Amino acid sequence: MRQAEDIKRLIKKLNDKTSAQMDKRVLGDVLRALEESEQPSALTWPNIRRTIMKSPITKLAAAAVIITAVVLSITLWDRSTPLAYGIEQTIEANNSVRYLHIKNFTAGEDEPREGWLEFDQDGQVTKVRAHMPEWLSPMDESMVIVWKGDVEQVWNKRKKVLATMKAKDNTKEQLTAFLKKVDPKTAVKHIYELQSQGKVKVEINEPTDKAEPITMTVTYLPESSTPDKRKVLYIDPTTKLVNTIELYKLKDDEYQYEGMIELDDYNQPIDAQLFDLQNEVPPDVKHFDQTANDVGLSQGQLSDEQAATEVVRQFFQALIAEDYTRAGKLFVLTMPANQLQQHIGRVKILRIVSIGPAVLNPKLETKGFDVPCKIELEENGKRNTPTLEGIKVQQLRNQPERWGIFSLSN
Amino acid sequence: MLEDKLLVLKCRRGSRDAMCRIYEKYKDYLLTLAKGLLGEQAAAEDVVHDVFVSFASSARQFQLTGSLRGYLATCVSNLARDKIRSRTRQAEALDSVNPSISDSDNPEQRVIEREELTRLRQAISQIPYEQREAVMLHLKGGMKFREIANLQGVSVSTIHGRYRYGLDKLRSLLNSEVEK
Repeated sequence: MRQAEDIKRLIKKLNDKTSAQMDKRVLGDVLRALEESEQPSALTWPNIRRTIMKSPITKLAAAAVIITAVVLSITLWDRSTPLAYGIEQTIEANNSVRYLHIKNFTAGEDEPREGWLEFDQDGQVTKVRAHMPEWLSPMDESMVIVWKGDVEQVWNKRKKVLATMKAKDNTKEQLTAFLKKVDPKTAVKHIYELQSQGKVKVEINEPTDKAEPITMTVTYLPESSTPDKRKVLYIDPTTKLVNTIELYKLKDDEYQYEGMIELDDYNQPIDAQLFDLQNEVPPDVKHFDQTANDVGLSQGQLSDEQAATEVVRQFFQALIAEDYTRAGKLFVLTMPANQLQQHIGRVKILRIVSIGPAVLNPKLETKGFDVPCKIELEENGKRNTPTLEGIKVQQLRNQPERWGIFSLSN
Repeated sequence: MLEDKLLVLKCRRGSRDAMCRIYEKYKDYLLTLAKGLLGEQAAAEDVVHDVFVSFASSARQFQLTGSLRGYLATCVSNLARDKIRSRTRQAEALDSVNPSISDSDNPEQRVIEREELTRLRQAISQIPYEQREAVMLHLKGGMKFREIANLQGVSVSTIHGRYRYGLDKLRSLLNSEVEK
């Protein structure tokens, strides 16, 4: 008796191969179709031309037209011949860009990093939405990040968390460094600067066929900080805007393909909703707002260890007082009072037996400590004094002068 | 997928090499799929031919949104369905060409496999086309049920049902063959 698995295995084994005869037939037709798609009028033009040119009067008239055209073209040459392409033209064209959609593909990965950018009148980026695929950070799975001036929203899809935070001081720097790579506005300006410093060699190929893109090959020289890189930019001959950037790295004496940046939707206005995740996330996503000033505990004159210990002390004091709002705000990502109350359940915290000492935990994203705490609690009428070893306290990511609880358990 | 994106980009610029590379990469996969759907070598070859020619004709404007493999498989499926519809008689002459088999070095094993695959092809051609499409596109085409559902314009559960019934029918046909 055959089982379904057996049949699946057999079907997967089916493997027909094309014959050489079929390959020849198909490839011949395919390449012809490709050529014809490049020159749509090529098929009809010779026939029309041949028919018209059969007439002697037409031949004479055509000769006159050709002579006139040649004379005119010589006269108008200076005015009608467009200037050869120069990198400055793309820099100039970029000044008019207000909206842009970027896809950054990396070799070996299916899903691209994707970004939507909005610029102000001066060409400064004002809003960014970025989709970070799972392969970038397998621990977090995919994330959506929105940056607007001094506020960042981060939606972690696996953890089902939307955190709204004050943008870090270095966010703008990180963003600028990222844009230098992917945003054609800054990327092309950067190439221009490097060229004037003799750090890159720029080769421009402007095809005579105006339907073909202009290619700019940028080879990084030993004087540059990345001498093994090469970029190939494909530029629209009409708009002078960059459509694609291919990225290469020198390996084994040849430039190997590393990735590609696709630039789409130039100046297609981006819906404002795209830059606000608040209403976009599914209902089961927890919202944490860290923009409020009273999140965590201000360090003041305390040492780091003292601040970490004090956060834990104040947290349990708040629970003893059943002030869940205050206790919730001592979390790095504030926890709403009702959620915390649910979390604590029927456990009543009676007193703090001992706290500390705080032990540095190098695994945390920002500076942080493990702060053991022994408490007395009552659950179902029974008293107990457990020692909680897994309490982690750390600096707030965007406000390092404040400290909060990251986790209560291991 | 990235390589495909680059190849498509180059095709848009008229690169013959890129077009040849795409053909080389997917020709056998598409032929197997087409033959599984149509059960006939000549018709399958025609479908593959038409898919590639159509792709080349539109290459200058082509925008790849998903995977190229999935796109080409969808084209094969659409053309195969058109061919099936245009046939006046559903009875298909089973192809005289034996199915190719992959990787066995053992001649005896190869003969057994060839027989098995011939019986499988006969069985596949006997199940209803919609079930055949679900089975082939999922197992050989590597498409997800959701993608097949979009292609056929039905729900995912319908596709799942067609796939399950298709496999059951194949199993019953092959088992009855063995019992004879």
